This record gives sequence, structure tokens and C-alpha cells, in this order.
Amino acid sequence: MKDSLNNMKYIEKNKLVELIKELKKDYILIAPVKLKNFVLFRELKENEEPYLDFLNSRNSPKEFFFPQTENIVEFEGIIDKRVSKLEDIKNKKRIILGMRPCDIKSILILDKLFINEDYVDNYYKRLRDNTLIFGFGCNKPRTTCFCTSFESGPFFKEGSDGFITAIGDKFIIEGITEGGKKLIEKLENADKDMVKAKGEIEKNANDTVPSSVKVEKIPEKLREMFEHPIWEEISERCLGCGVCTYLCPTCHCFDIQDEVINERGRRVKNWDSCMFPIFTLHGSGHQPREFRYQRMRQRIMHKFNYYEENFGVIACCGCGRCITQCPVNIDVREIISSIKNVKLTISNEK
Amino acid sequence: MTNPFLPEPARIVRKFELAKDVRFFQIRFIDMERALSFGYTPGQFMMFSIPGTGEAPFSISSTPSRPGLLEFCIRKAGRLTEALFRLRENDGIGIRGPYGDGFPVNKMKGYDLLIIMGGLGAAPLRSLLLYALDNRELFGKLHLLYGAKRPKDMLFKKEFLEFIGREDIECLLTVDKDDAGKWPCYTGFVTSLFERIEDINAENTFACVCGPPVMYKFVLEKLVKLNIPKHQILMTLERRMKCGIGKCGHCAIEDIYTCMDGPVFTYWDVLHMKELI
Repeated sequence: MKDSLNNMKYIEKNKLVELIKELKKDYILIAPVKLKNFVLFRELKENEEPYLDFLNSRNSPKEFFFPQTENIVEFEGIIDKRVSKLEDIKNKKRIILGMRPCDIKSILILDKLFINEDYVDNYYKRLRDNTLIFGFGCNKPRTTCFCTSFESGPFFKEGSDGFITAIGDKFIIEGITEGGKKLIEKLENADKDMVKAKGEIEKNANDTVPSSVKVEKIPEKLREMFEHPIWEEISERCLGCGVCTYLCPTCHCFDIQDEVINERGRRVKNWDSCMFPIFTLHGSGHQPREFRYQRMRQRIMHKFNYYEENFGVIACCGCGRCITQCPVNIDVREIISSIKNVKLTISNEK
Repeated sequence: MTNPFLPEPARIVRKFELAKDVRFFQIRFIDMERALSFGYTPGQFMMFSIPGTGEAPFSISSTPSRPGLLEFCIRKAGRLTEALFRLRENDGIGIRGPYGDGFPVNKMKGYDLLIIMGGLGAAPLRSLLLYALDNRELFGKLHLLYGAKRPKDMLFKKEFLEFIGREDIECLLTVDKDDAGKWPCYTGFVTSLFERIEDINAENTFACVCGPPVMYKFVLEKLVKLNIPKHQILMTLERRMKCGIGKCGHCAIEDIYTCMDGPVFTYWDVLHMKELI
């Protein structure tokens, strides 16, 4: 108990700017910033203040580990002058401040794909290793939040090096990993009352998440539902815009493209989306996923069945971004409920 | 740290036309040692890289039993192949690989081989065919069935015509149409060749198929009728691919990736997996 108390620090909210100024000497600081009508995570510029009075950012902060565009090869005119971008990745350490637990959970999900026994993505790993994450507990979840459905919650701390809880005019900051503890060691210790108040908030936090879905047995059930008519029903109003995949913190498909300006060029990895027909179009013109329902099926199957088969975890963290930003109000929670309500007959099984 | 996307420098040693818009390429790693020690399995593929244009996957048409040069049979179909067709002999090119799970040649030892190809399906299967010929003692009987649209569309025509009459291979070639009337072999679809092969020992045969998607259904019907076990019917399939290492998601079929677990699949896989063909 004593030890954990020592890891419990606090800072007055209005002193945070000074702390950030101090940290910026040694770290790149990434934090939520308020733009016109939404909040985004980005590297704090000179004198820029973080905006921590937010529910969640519009885009997921996955881009700081899996960038939307990432150089994988650079070249000059001919192939022999090619260079690998990898060595150039900045070694400067980074802090992501104020990341929500659902988004941290999504990084834990992506870790299984990019860092495993058979394969290590060195780009991804370098960014992971160089980054300290300070999670930020959700005192007030959004109506579209359903993180508790995925062994997570508003105060889920796995993956965080430190964890911030807002109480009144203070932030209570808990050091979790050695790196996280070290970063906040100079802050004032939180007193008993603060720790108690923090405990109270955490205790009932899961009940404040307004929605949930029951995903038990969904992966197994989906295995029998490939040819079920539900996919056509679900995708009827889908426009195929791909915003769900773009904003999804666990979507990780990418394209590889070359760009050239004045004889100098680069080969880049770009985010891609399985919701676009060209994603599977063959050079010969053959199209294995011709219809939108097939692409919708791929997206849902990949998250709730295939990823679970391969990595033992469902590729959804319940952040609700695909729900809030879908232009035709497709709600993945409803999709899961519909799947749950399907009564399988022999003919639906393979 | 290694970068799996970094292409290795290679050059085009030789190229010539096999048919309209289909070209044969001989490629060699610039590094001589790399060229000679490079190992692969028939059925595997390489990513070609032209800086500024991009990358695309191509089946290897040569056999690992003849090290040094890699051979490819490529149809002009998109941006990368258009740029590739503009390159001249001795021009540089980047390649990375080999990728995918090729034919299980060790498992196939001692078995008869029935190789069935249609059109551009010759590209991956020529590798297996030459491998079997170079290691003739490892396999039983060897049948080659190849169907093309017209005589002028038949790839490796000269090479395959030489096989006719040989005792170590039964080579049956057919064309859908022979307008000039000078074609020395059969006419009709590739499925019509099945009645010309004698005494297939189904239990002891591996059938290997590659061709346009429309061909599979009819060829598979014939193979099932011959009682060849489903796990001994092998197909090499196509998918749009980008990374080659099972990460980019393009070639995903259910929970597997064509670039890792394919492109060679059994008929058993096809029956149990969706969207495979």
C-alpha cells in the first residue's frame, strides 16, 4: 500500500502547462489539441497547450505507431541508390499524454499483429519502444462508448506507463511502469483523500459506460454465418465511404505506393480500406469481392472472427468512432446484436 | 535492423515475347553469390519493384534445380507491367522474395503428376514441370495438359512441342480455335484432353492446376470424376497483393493470407474456404 501511495502523484490542472514545458526538453509530447470543432492528437507545438476537457479525439491516436503514411524505401533515380528509411527514424523519446483506455487497448490488439513470434515490424516496434503512454481515465463516457464489452473499461490501465484521473481542479497521476514512475517522481504525492476520491470514481466507472454488447461466442457463431443473408441486410445502406476503417483504432490494412518528385522518390505504406472495391481487384480484372455486402462481411468477419482466430483477441475496442462518424448511421453494436439474434439453421452452416 | 520491404538489386538478362502482351523475362541478382545461392520452391512468387512506379507479385516460372537465373512469364496488365515492358535487357530492377507456400514437392515424391494449365496458368506450373523433369527419378508418371485460346496464344509453345513423343513425359496440347488449320496438336478445351490420358492411378496422383478462374470448375469436375483425392488436387490462385508478408490485408481469405499460406491451395481448402476462387 505504501509503495502504491508513493506512485500516486498529483498536479493542479493549471500547473500542467509547466510540467509539459519541462518534459518537452527531453521528449516529443503528443497530446489532444482542440481544433475548430473536434479534438485531435498531435505533437504539441511551441507554447501549444493540450486540451484535456474532451470525451475522445476524432481520429484514433494509432497513427503514432502505425502512421497513415510511412516511408519504407527511399530512392534516387535508379535502384542502386536506394536507401532504407528505417535507420532514419528519430530516436527521440515520445510521450503520449491523455490517451483514452479504449485507444490504448487498440494498441495492445495491434501489438499482436506487428510484434509476434513469427514477425516483428521494426518500424512499429521502434515507435512502441520509444513511447511512454499516459492513459486518461474517462469520467464521462460518450453515448457511443462500449469499451467494457472487450475486457476494458474507462479506467483500464494495461498498456499505460502512467495513468491520469481528473478530480476537481487536480489531476491524480499514477505511475505504473518504471518509465512512467520516473517521469512523475518530482511531482507532489497525492494525499489519502485524493486517493480515496480516485478509488470511488474507478469503482463505479464501468457502470457509467452507457452501452455494451455481448461478444461471447460471436467469433464461433460467425464461422457458421459466411453465407447468411444478414450481410446483405446490414450493408443495404452502406455507402462504402470507408470512414469506419479510417477512424478505427484497430484497422491496420495498408497499401504500398511510390511517389516521385524531381528524380527523388519514396515508397510509402498508406492506410487502405477493405471497404473499397480496388482493395481486391486483380490485375486481370477478376474481382473476388464484387459486392458491397462481401466487403462489409470481410470487415466484420476480420474484426470479430478472423483476428480472434489468429491472435486470440477480437479486433474492436469499443471506442464508437465508426458509429459517431458513419454518414448513414450504421451501428456496429446493432450489427453484433443482429448476429447474436440469428438462429442458425443447418443450411447456414458450411 | 532489417527492412522486409527493401528490394534487392537485379537486372534483366534476357527478354522476348511469348505471345501478344506476354513476355518472358530472365532476371539475375546483381550479386553473383546471391544469384547462385538463392533458393525457392516451385509455386512461389517474387515482388518486382520499379522505383517510382511500384511493386507487383509474379510467379516464378523457372526451377530451383537450375540456379543462377530466375525466369518469369508476365502479361502486360497494369501500370507496373507497362513500365516493366519498357525496360531493356541489362536494365536494373528490384526484386524481393521468394514469397508464399509453393508446391509441397517433398510430399509429392513418388507420386504421378498431372499438370493442367490454361492460358497464363503456365507461368507458375512451368516451374513445377521443369523441376519434375530435372528430378525425374523422384516422381512417377508425368502428364502435361495445356490449353490455350489459339496457337499464337500458347506460351512456351516451342519448349512444350519438344516434349511430344518423349517417353519421360506425356504432353497433350490443345487450342480452343485453330483458324489457320496448321496446329499439329489437339483442338478443344483443356477438359477435352482428359479422355486422352490413359490409366490414371488416382490414389497415387497429384493433380496441379492453374488457369483463369472460369477453368477451375470444369477441370475440378473431371478430377473428382477420376477419383483423385481432394487433398491431392493442388491449385495455385491469384490475389491482389501488396506486402507479401501477411500484413497489408489485401490477399486475406478468412483467417489466412494468400501470400503466406498460398498461393498453392488444395481442392479440400477450396471446398472449406470462402471466396477462394
